[in-house]
Amino acid sequence: MEVKVLFFGVLVEVTGTNFKNYKDVKSISDLKLRISDDFPEVIHYYFIVSLNNEIINTNHDLKEGDEVALMPPFAGG
Amino acid sequence: MLTNNLINGPVTQCLITLLIEQMGERTDIGGHSLFLGQVRTDEIDGKKVKAIEYSAYEEMVKVVVDNIKETLLSEFTDVRSIEIVHSTGMVMAGEISLLVLVSAGHRHQAMLACSKTVELIKERLPVWKREIFDDNSHRWNQNIHV
Repeated sequence: MEVKVLFFGVLVEVTGTNFKNYKDVKSISDLKLRISDDFPEVIHYYFIVSLNNEIINTNHDLKEGDEVALMPPFAGG
Repeated sequence: MLTNNLINGPVTQCLITLLIEQMGERTDIGGHSLFLGQVRTDEIDGKKVKAIEYSAYEEMVKVVVDNIKETLLSEFTDVRSIEIVHSTGMVMAGEISLLVLVSAGHRHQAMLACSKTVELIKERLPVWKREIFDDNSHRWNQNIHV
């Protein structure tokens, strides 16, 4: 089971990448722990999370092929 | 090239003209309201912004734009069309980075809906900007809702 994590805005600089694939993560909570292991600096930044293009505010189970995005505050316009 | 309401580089005069010309085919339209967002040379700590580099979550932009249009079209029943174009990549100071064109049967709803569309874009569109200064340093910026 693999999910894709996308990084945006300042988080691209913080992590040094646009995305990373993670295997065998059961939930958003698990995923956040894995991400903070790989990129400890990330926890110092505010971001919201989307799952398959939908912003989520609570923990969710993950399944094969899910796309999760870590998004700092928007700055369009 | 336009992909999911995004254009690489600035919104050009050619594109603005083209979109307005296309609206001429809709004879049920009586007025357009056009908002153009332009890159401003802010001065921060003695350094001037010379450009903004935009990045976007392209797949989600499409979803959010569709949602914004649906919201506005149900609230403003006289509105016939909403066009949204946002830049990605580098846009120099003085160039246009956002276009919102709202067309309606009458002016009042065109202007109200255009204003609300811009506010929803600021609030919801997954776009990020990196301000590039005249000494080539940069900082990430975010919208402040006022």
